Amino acid sequence: MQPVTWTTALGFGERGWGPALLEGAVLTLLVSIAGLAIGAALGSLVAWSKLSGVRIAAAIGESYAAIFRGLPELLVVYFVYFGSSAALTGLDHLFGGQGFLGVPGFAAGALAVGVISGSYQAEVFRGAFLAIAKGELEAARAVGMGRWLSFRRIIAPQVLRFALPGLGNLWQVALKDSSLISVTGLSELMRTSQIAAGSTHQPFTFYVAGGALYLALTSVSDRVFEFAEARATRGMRREAR
Amino acid sequence: MPESESDSYALTVSGLHKRFGSLEVLKGVSLLAREGDVISILGSSGSGKSTLLRCINLLETPDEGVVTVAGETILMRKTRDGRSLPADRRQVDRIRSELGMVFQNFNLWSHMTILDNLVEAPIHVQKRPRAECFEEARALLDKVGIGDKANFYPTHLSGGQQQRAAIARALAMRPKVMLFDEPTSALDPELVGEVLRVMRSLADEGRTMLIVTHEMGFARDVSDRIIFLHQGLVEDEGPPAELFGNSKSERFRQFIATERL
Amino acid sequence: MMDTAFIWDIFLRLIVALRVTLSVWALSVFFGAFIAAGVTWMRGSGVKPVEWIARAYIFVFRGAPLLVQLFVVYYGLSSFPVVRASVFWPFLRDAFNCATLSCALCTAAYQSEIFRGALAGVPHGQVEAARACGMSGFLLFRRVIFPIALRQALPAYSTEVISMVKATALVSLVTLWDVMSVALKIRNDTLVTYTPLLVAGAIYFVVNYLIARIFIFIEQWLSPHLRARSA
Repeated sequence: MQPVTWTTALGFGERGWGPALLEGAVLTLLVSIAGLAIGAALGSLVAWSKLSGVRIAAAIGESYAAIFRGLPELLVVYFVYFGSSAALTGLDHLFGGQGFLGVPGFAAGALAVGVISGSYQAEVFRGAFLAIAKGELEAARAVGMGRWLSFRRIIAPQVLRFALPGLGNLWQVALKDSSLISVTGLSELMRTSQIAAGSTHQPFTFYVAGGALYLALTSVSDRVFEFAEARATRGMRREAR
Repeated sequence: MPESESDSYALTVSGLHKRFGSLEVLKGVSLLAREGDVISILGSSGSGKSTLLRCINLLETPDEGVVTVAGETILMRKTRDGRSLPADRRQVDRIRSELGMVFQNFNLWSHMTILDNLVEAPIHVQKRPRAECFEEARALLDKVGIGDKANFYPTHLSGGQQQRAAIARALAMRPKVMLFDEPTSALDPELVGEVLRVMRSLADEGRTMLIVTHEMGFARDVSDRIIFLHQGLVEDEGPPAELFGNSKSERFRQFIATERL
Repeated sequence: MMDTAFIWDIFLRLIVALRVTLSVWALSVFFGAFIAAGVTWMRGSGVKPVEWIARAYIFVFRGAPLLVQLFVVYYGLSSFPVVRASVFWPFLRDAFNCATLSCALCTAAYQSEIFRGALAGVPHGQVEAARACGMSGFLLFRRVIFPIALRQALPAYSTEVISMVKATALVSLVTLWDVMSVALKIRNDTLVTYTPLLVAGAIYFVVNYLIARIFIFIEQWLSPHLRARSA
């Protein structure tokens, strides 16, 4: 096979890897969103445990956050990937199955990213909650709003508003952490670049192209978050906190 | 004015103009200060009094005008796009080290003790021997009444103590002229007195002082001369008795009527 | 297989590999700081093209995943004949050098933003007071701006330094035998999954904890002015 020029290699023609890279980018986006969502669930749980005042819950939440902030992200990815596969296999064996069941890379990857993200999101949510003026909560109570209603109408929207800047940062982190999921074999952007680089013997082209796509995702995300922050904070006074 | 006469002035300012964008804040201000003069600069906000002070030690750069400190004129030059800049940076630094400035917000260096704040410029800018600087600094702290706070950090002191430390820091430079930019405006009312007392004793010693202030009573009792600025120009000036008694300026009479004495 | 002899053996082998991890970490943070100082200076230079280059640098090295950067430097550069023939090749053919260079470039982008934020956070009034005393140029920077900015930068800087320890795990993917790759090798050889990874995790955790404590100590030592006054 003759060597291909880099323009053809990246292109959308017959021997072009363009479509594959774009598909990888979409998968990266999806797994990052899934990871962020899992992180949001875990993070709000931990934030709530710390704010609740229940010592044991706070201790558990604190430990979870401390552990996952002190471990390399790559290690967590391996751990979740191997661990969840082993767990699934074990479960299958329990029901009489044989052989090995692997957890799909997407699920393991999203879980790994989510578990890491959650440990940081906990602080963002906790800070956002504490930033809500106490008076607003008291006013809700005074008007007779029940706990679920005041949570739904007052607390949650405000927490989201204050958390947006922090979440924007953590989203960028999740996007970059998702590149580590490539070690599970999932054909997200990093892995696709790797495969293409190996297949065409043009590593520079494809790793730079992959990097450029990540930067594109980052830039677009920036705009989206800027827009969301502007909308969410309209009507809020800009005061120094 | 004749050469020999300007030499006897501690500070001369002539024809100062300063613009911020399209807003002209100083429209041609002049003043003369002999050694030992205590001059209070009064005016409502926006009159340009702080800007005037800051142009003297070039924290703001005047667009036009001449500033002479102890006989030495600050050299200026014009850039290609018409902006005014000091011609000699080293001259600016030198002249600044002969002027002592006290700021409204004290501006003590937060990472140094009070004592270190005082000796910092004498040692590193004026290159005086360390032992001498420390000795003088301790004496100055005693003089302003916070000798026991020498090893404290600024954040541990009250506002009044911090401002007195800032005054001591300016004194440590052995300045020829002292500039005070609203020294008590950021203080709680009960702390204002201790700072004014220190300033009064400095005036009694015969120091040359330029004070931008809202403290009318202090201005009237302590100054040799009052300058009233209005919208960038000197509306009236003269000894306090004359101005507070019967000023020729209607605006000044209105001004002191609205400010409590 | 959780017997102590086995765990101890894993631990010893990982400690040897820790040398690689810490070398990459220390060198990249150290050189990254100098690169970052340069980038920060460029960013604040006031010369538009120079500023633009600095901003582009920060955008690229903070926006792209470190793994991509590592692969570009290690696999990408070596694929060019012109690179292999150049004077840099003896340096670049070594995986350790490539990995450290790539990590240094990456951390420099983050450190540069930290420096920029710290410098911007120096209270303007204190700088003015220094100018009013006749300080300028390097003296002003050395005695007032830098000390204050340094103290402001410490918390964010410690976070970044610890992030870099975690980031070094990626060098396992460019053929270096650091803690991560040795742990995986032990797993492959012994078919035991959790133990090697757990021991590796514990080692990383302890290292990060120690670094965090050192920074807390430095912060306290440098900031007596922020502590409550005793007596």
